[in-house]
Amino acid sequence: MKKNGFGGRSLIGLCFLFLYLPIFFLIFFSFNAGDSSAVWRGFSLRWYAELFHNRLVIESLATTLLVSLLATAIATVAGTFAAIGIYSLTKKWRDPILVVNDIPMMNADIVTGVALCLFFVAFFRGWGGIARWLNSWQDLIDFPERLTLGLGTLLIAHVSFNLPYVILNVAPRLRQMDSNLVDAAQDLGCTWFQAFYKVILPEIKPGIVSGALIAFTMSVDDFVISYFTAGSSTQTLAMTIYGMTKKRVTPVVNAVSTLMFLAVLIVLIVNNVRSAKQEKLAAKRASMKPIRENPRAERFREWMSTPRGKLTRRVTAAALCAAFLVTVVFLTAFTTSRPVVNICSWGEYIDESLIDEFEAETGIRVNYQTTDSNETLYSLLELGGADYDVIVPSDYMISQLIEEGMLEELDYSQIPNFQLIDPRFRNLPYDPENKYTVPYTWGTVGIIYNSAMVDEEIHSWSALYDDKYAGQVLLIGNSRDAFGIALKYLGYSMNTTNPDEIRQAYELVADANRRGVFQGKVMDEVFQTMEGGNAAFATYYAGDYLSMLENNEDLKFVIPDEGSNWFVDAMCVLKDAPNFDNAMKWINFIASTKANLRNMDYIWYASPNTEALDKYPEWYEEEYGEELDPEIYEIMAAPQEVLDRCEMYVCLPRSIRTLYNDLWIKLGI
Amino acid sequence: MSKELIRLKDVTQVFDGETVLKDVNIYFNDSEFLTLLGPSGCGKTTMLRIIGGFQTPTSGDVFFDGVRINDVPPYRRQVNTVFQKYALFPHLNVYDNVAFGLRIPKEAPDGSREKIKLSKEEIDRRVREMLEVVSLKGFEHRSIASLSGGQQQRVAIARALVNRPKVLLLDEPLGALDMRLRKDMQQELKRIQQRLGITFINVTHDQEEALAMSDTVVVINEGVIQQIGTPEDIYNEPKNAFVADFIGESNIVDGIMRADRVVEIFNRRFTCLDSGFEKDEPVDVVIRPEDVDIVSEAEGQLRGVVTSVTFKGVHYDTIVDFYGFKWLIQTTDYCPVDSHIGIKIDPDGFHVMKKSKYSGMFGDYSSYSEEYDEINDPTILDEEEAEGAEDED
Amino acid sequence: MRTKRGLFAVPYVIWMALFVVIPIVIMLVYSLTAEIETAGGTELTGSLENFTGMALYAGVFGRSFWLALIATAICLLIGYPVAYLMSREGPGFQRVAMALIMLPMWMNFLLRTYSWMAILENNGLLNQLFQKLGIIALYNRLTGSDIEYFQMIRTPGAVVLGMVYNYLPFMILPIYTVLTKLDHRLIEAAQDLGANSSTVFRRVILPLSLSGIVSGVTMVFVPSVSTFAISRLLGGGTQMMLGDLIENQFLGGAYNPHLGAAISMVMMVIVVICMLVMNHFGDGEGEAVML
Repeated sequence: MKKNGFGGRSLIGLCFLFLYLPIFFLIFFSFNAGDSSAVWRGFSLRWYAELFHNRLVIESLATTLLVSLLATAIATVAGTFAAIGIYSLTKKWRDPILVVNDIPMMNADIVTGVALCLFFVAFFRGWGGIARWLNSWQDLIDFPERLTLGLGTLLIAHVSFNLPYVILNVAPRLRQMDSNLVDAAQDLGCTWFQAFYKVILPEIKPGIVSGALIAFTMSVDDFVISYFTAGSSTQTLAMTIYGMTKKRVTPVVNAVSTLMFLAVLIVLIVNNVRSAKQEKLAAKRASMKPIRENPRAERFREWMSTPRGKLTRRVTAAALCAAFLVTVVFLTAFTTSRPVVNICSWGEYIDESLIDEFEAETGIRVNYQTTDSNETLYSLLELGGADYDVIVPSDYMISQLIEEGMLEELDYSQIPNFQLIDPRFRNLPYDPENKYTVPYTWGTVGIIYNSAMVDEEIHSWSALYDDKYAGQVLLIGNSRDAFGIALKYLGYSMNTTNPDEIRQAYELVADANRRGVFQGKVMDEVFQTMEGGNAAFATYYAGDYLSMLENNEDLKFVIPDEGSNWFVDAMCVLKDAPNFDNAMKWINFIASTKANLRNMDYIWYASPNTEALDKYPEWYEEEYGEELDPEIYEIMAAPQEVLDRCEMYVCLPRSIRTLYNDLWIKLGI
Repeated sequence: MSKELIRLKDVTQVFDGETVLKDVNIYFNDSEFLTLLGPSGCGKTTMLRIIGGFQTPTSGDVFFDGVRINDVPPYRRQVNTVFQKYALFPHLNVYDNVAFGLRIPKEAPDGSREKIKLSKEEIDRRVREMLEVVSLKGFEHRSIASLSGGQQQRVAIARALVNRPKVLLLDEPLGALDMRLRKDMQQELKRIQQRLGITFINVTHDQEEALAMSDTVVVINEGVIQQIGTPEDIYNEPKNAFVADFIGESNIVDGIMRADRVVEIFNRRFTCLDSGFEKDEPVDVVIRPEDVDIVSEAEGQLRGVVTSVTFKGVHYDTIVDFYGFKWLIQTTDYCPVDSHIGIKIDPDGFHVMKKSKYSGMFGDYSSYSEEYDEINDPTILDEEEAEGAEDED
Repeated sequence: MRTKRGLFAVPYVIWMALFVVIPIVIMLVYSLTAEIETAGGTELTGSLENFTGMALYAGVFGRSFWLALIATAICLLIGYPVAYLMSREGPGFQRVAMALIMLPMWMNFLLRTYSWMAILENNGLLNQLFQKLGIIALYNRLTGSDIEYFQMIRTPGAVVLGMVYNYLPFMILPIYTVLTKLDHRLIEAAQDLGANSSTVFRRVILPLSLSGIVSGVTMVFVPSVSTFAISRLLGGGTQMMLGDLIENQFLGGAYNPHLGAAISMVMMVIVVICMLVMNHFGDGEGEAVML
């Protein structure tokens, strides 16, 4: 056959360049000294070191490996037997089964994920009754009455989409296999299972191996199906990364991925070298003439059949199995055991060393998860996808949750640190009697702009709708904020329930959109974009502005004269939380002055703790040996007169929420 | 010498509503070489699989040494099989293939719990011995893929025989070999069978092979045994038109038995050696092509016109039209096409058979070439293969 | 004997029925019901409003299918030649190339897509490169415009790029598998019968690799049309796709699983119809998924 010339090879090369360009980029930035994935700050290995301390990444990696390994193992064994079974059926039965087998492969991941999610939710709704009945009927096993999405559902989902891959890889091998082989083995004295072990298995092994490999790869790479079936008390690495892509992907993830990538690369290289050798040997053998094998191979074979060789082989196999088991057990133990408290917060919203400290102090394991918005959190709770104890929603969501009876009243006797909360942040409209909440942070929303790209001082929201900055403005990516700001600009209340006012606000935004003012709609992607100087304007939270400022000094923040939104995020406990007392301990711990100071320093959001708020400049000076810029402090903790200009969101009635949503989709089209 | 070893009693096998074997009664003797012969789909392989234990008959019983073995799985039967296309284990080399059966611990015949496990030395000795029997010494470490068809065949035989079965089943053992190799292997198989003195049950659709190797031939068609006998019996005294046609070449014509030893065909009476029929009973008359002598038109008992001549080496296949009925005559005399000839048949050249459901279906050489080819065509699918092929899509 | 082995399929059949078939049925049920606001709260009733109201999203459907179609076409245009060229290489090269195609899957696709963000940004790698090479200045001089960068991110083009990038291996693999299995004697036979190389390709190789193309197209089109992460990351939220719409109904602000189920249903049906039409042209999909 004609081989490809230079042209052909370079086309293949270009294709690979395209495939690997972003990967090189990723690997490159895993050695970045800075924490941006766009700005190079010099070489460092700090992210590899930090990897071992980043709980979120390590835990989600452990979950990913656990689920992928288990799902692959189950799917491979079940799939292999199933393929044998299917293969022995008559066409009448086989064909419909194969059609069903194709469904998970043909279906879009998102449809598979959604369907499974709805199935689990429907099942969980019905389960309570069944469990109660089972428990009343026997007391041998205590069935939990409340089930949620989690590791179990994730595993089921992964097995379901892995099975078809295994079957599709094993079936052709079975088809190629001479059907008389099994008969021959039985004829020679094998029982069916002996025949299976001695004949079928070696024959279809390549199919099983490639099926398992594909299944494992798919499992590790999967995001969409996991996203819909894991709830969010369990997170795979992909989900963690997705959570981060919205804000800033910590280079720790680059480091983890680089390590995984290298590990697989090494396995592939070793494997390739080995199979190349085998192929050569096979070619030699096939060429009839010299029947003598490589003498070393022969000696090895002979040694393998000696008792000692056999023992070695068995020991190796046993060791591999044991290693696998230990991994599984270890990972399981890692994810469960010890008293636990399940927290759900936002990404990059805590100084993670606080978690370690709390664990050391109390011996309670913290299962710390994140979601990306109040709305997602609400959906997860509605879908029964979450089994959190403590959540940290924002003001308007809290009132909605209280209204729907989803929160538990707190036991303030267990939270002495509540006394440290500034009276300004108690008894706020979302929780007038303050029975459900302990504030976590508070802050404002304002315009972030790049002074290198904008010549004027900005004082009004009007800049966001100005043709002058066409293509330079990032619209905030949720309907409430985007229309709320427009309402404020138009002089209405952000909490208006007048559909006409909301429509006017929509028109303002839609008109600017048509004129091409907006570069895009962003939520946490704003970090990368603004820091890289890729847009001139964005609307975002003060605390996040301060994080960006660390990477780009040209950025400025202003709360426009028309006023803005101010918010409080507060810790609440879900109804029937399984670990109520642990949750109280956690809340109390976080409400302490020390924790507030550290969090404030880490995330740049203002603390509701009077002492912490007052002491922060002092603490900062002690910690870093330099004075805190008062301007920064003012942005972080807006003075009362600024807050007076601002409005806090309240929960809107359902019909208005629907209106917001419809208008938002209309905007997107 | 011949003791009965296996008996099938009223065995019927139905697949998906289709009767493949119908009320089969047959026994197999010790140390005989028996061939099940029949066209594709006649049920011969099914019969073999029932004996091997791969198939449980729909009804009827299978006895081995007088014991009913219907429910005994294949791995407990003292029967081994050489499979179609050999079914050698591709992941094992020659040695390991042959040793395969020996390495499986067997249940002791007395039914005790302890399983019999052969020692390594014993296995090695028996494998090497068997490889020698099949002339494959020195091939121990060769991979299966590197062997020729004939060598694979030998491995398959060795693999089965090394277990010292009482019966060896061979499923179209020579089907995949070319002509010359097939002839050699026929001799080889016969030699091995005689050397070991065990029963071989061979399945084939090749009548020549059946006649050459067997002590006993069983002709099967449509799931029914047509005739059992020695090769000579089968050839010389076929029971019906099917057997006559399937075994060798035959001209089969309608005749009437006018009296003992007098048969009438084409309105002429001929002397024959058959008797015992009713007077004026309609019969089938078989005349083998080699039993016909071509003589001059004047001398002939029957007169016809040559329509085609094919040179076959030893003889010519000459097709002659007698009164619209075409006969095949094998003769060393060359008669050109369109020549008018006469023929003469000795009394022992006639074989008279009772009418059967096959009457009138065979023995006419009007569409000569096709039919002749079909019988010799080894590529025609066997029933099992046909089933397998259907499986594949 | 054979039928007894069929029992091995039973656990699998039960599993698939439970976790593949029933979920789709439940999704159908969800899509045919809606929560109606009543005085005492909300109430579940059977309703077709999820489907009738879908006209609002016609634009999203249109964009999703259009972008996915473009991405699939580009994947085919790149993937086929690459698969073809690869299949003509020696076994060593092929093995390495296969490994290299599978390898990127071990870097999570979100991360790879995220990496494209950094490359495509206005201030990103590519624009910096263009600036250094003077391409932007050249463009400005030629067109008389005054731009500092090419707007690449947050455009439909970026979304298509993301799809092509992520799903190209799924196009190459099945086509490559089919091509390597191609009996080389067929090509020789065609040449023997007087076909030149382009005719051989058109009349022999292309028709015989059709099954690979069909499964490749399926494996690229389906995930493309339903993606939500890619459109969110590279489209900057301006390129709302079906996936975003569905996700938004389940885990996003719009929370309405009934509508989400209905959209999923419609998408599934359209995709199945497309695939049936495609399968008309070649069968044997699935087999090409083998390594």
